[in-house]
Amino acid sequence: MNIQEFIENFAAQFDETEPEAFTAETRFKDLDEWSSLAALSIIAMVDDEYDVIIKGKDITNSDTIQDLFDVVAKHRR
Amino acid sequence: MSQLTINHVRISGMSACVPSTVEDNRSLPIYKDENDALKVIASTGIERHHKVDDNTTASDLTVKAVEALLDKMGWGAEQVDILAYVCTSRDYIAPQTACILQDRLKLRNDCCVFDLPFGCSGWVYGMSIVSSLMSHGTLKRAILVAAETNTRNRNPRDTAVRPLFGDAATATALEYDPAWEQPMHFMYGVDGSGFDAVWAPYGGIRQPVTAEALEEKEVSPGVYRRGVDMIVNGMDVFGFAIKQPPRSLKELIETFDIDVDTVDLLLLHQANKFIDEKIRKAVKIPADKTPYCLEEYGNVTSASIPLTMVTRCREQLSGDVKHCLACGFGVGLAWASMEFYAGGVQVLDVIDY
Repeated sequence: MNIQEFIENFAAQFDETEPEAFTAETRFKDLDEWSSLAALSIIAMVDDEYDVIIKGKDITNSDTIQDLFDVVAKHRR
Repeated sequence: MSQLTINHVRISGMSACVPSTVEDNRSLPIYKDENDALKVIASTGIERHHKVDDNTTASDLTVKAVEALLDKMGWGAEQVDILAYVCTSRDYIAPQTACILQDRLKLRNDCCVFDLPFGCSGWVYGMSIVSSLMSHGTLKRAILVAAETNTRNRNPRDTAVRPLFGDAATATALEYDPAWEQPMHFMYGVDGSGFDAVWAPYGGIRQPVTAEALEEKEVSPGVYRRGVDMIVNGMDVFGFAIKQPPRSLKELIETFDIDVDTVDLLLLHQANKFIDEKIRKAVKIPADKTPYCLEEYGNVTSASIPLTMVTRCREQLSGDVKHCLACGFGVGLAWASMEFYAGGVQVLDVIDY
């Protein structure tokens, strides 16, 4: 898996935030559009695209998209 | 894999009782505007739910549902051999609520009654336990209750759960019938490591009620709870619900060599539309064979599957024999899937409490 593709998949879960707003360093919980529903979309996306079920604490403990990418990458190994 | 096959037991009647008060998510005071409410409705499919008042228990709803069912079936209370009460909102810490119901429903003193404190998987587990007892042939008539008052064990200021959960009681009449040749098949599953995904931390023996456990606290912005209130960790439940139920249904289909094209009804625990649609698509069952009642009643825990059958499948279940799959999943974490056939079932109109 690569980070660029992960960022695109991540960004695709948001309707109002511009795709350019998403980078590896984006602190996603600071986004206006971030919500508990957005979190569920991310969990579903990670399951669909990477066949990994992340936990609530994986999201709680991640600040940036890179942090979450690292969690998913670790689960896949 | 734990699996079970039961023969000669069939569903002969079903009823449901719901409180008459309806709480609509569009007008809940927990949202900053209606747009916020509409977002939640769009993603969960849940528009409203029925809610008991502070003096009504799940067993009160149950009495109405069971009495109407016995009346419709033409069963005398003295003919009932088993009463199983699936519920986590028990009347008292002790005794079991089923004992009190024996008296309220005027069942025999030698009736076999028991509580099954399951959550969302409860109707399927209950079906397996009750039909297994009946399959020996001496206990001929049973009532399986699946009831819950979610609005009373969750905090109304917990914005994460208030829009999603409702109250209902359902009763399923089962009969031992040597001439009934359609088997029931079951698969079970549990993952206790997820015990705190849906739980009430205080009020049991490990963490008894203390003064502090009764204090309401803001646990995250806008979410208030007491220690004795039910917690639903939405993200963990969601991750579980999109993984285990499809896996369980696929195991059932594979183990019992089920041709999914012959399935007439897929009956899912009404968690939320997003989760249930993922499960439905994973087992490749068409949308028109997968009924929902969550838009009207919300998630009613173990009562979800039978309430869907009563409110959405009456015509199908009362006609020719239908081929059904069901899957219950949630608190535990526990889940169970079943294959069964149903036809000629006496399904009552929903009763208002």
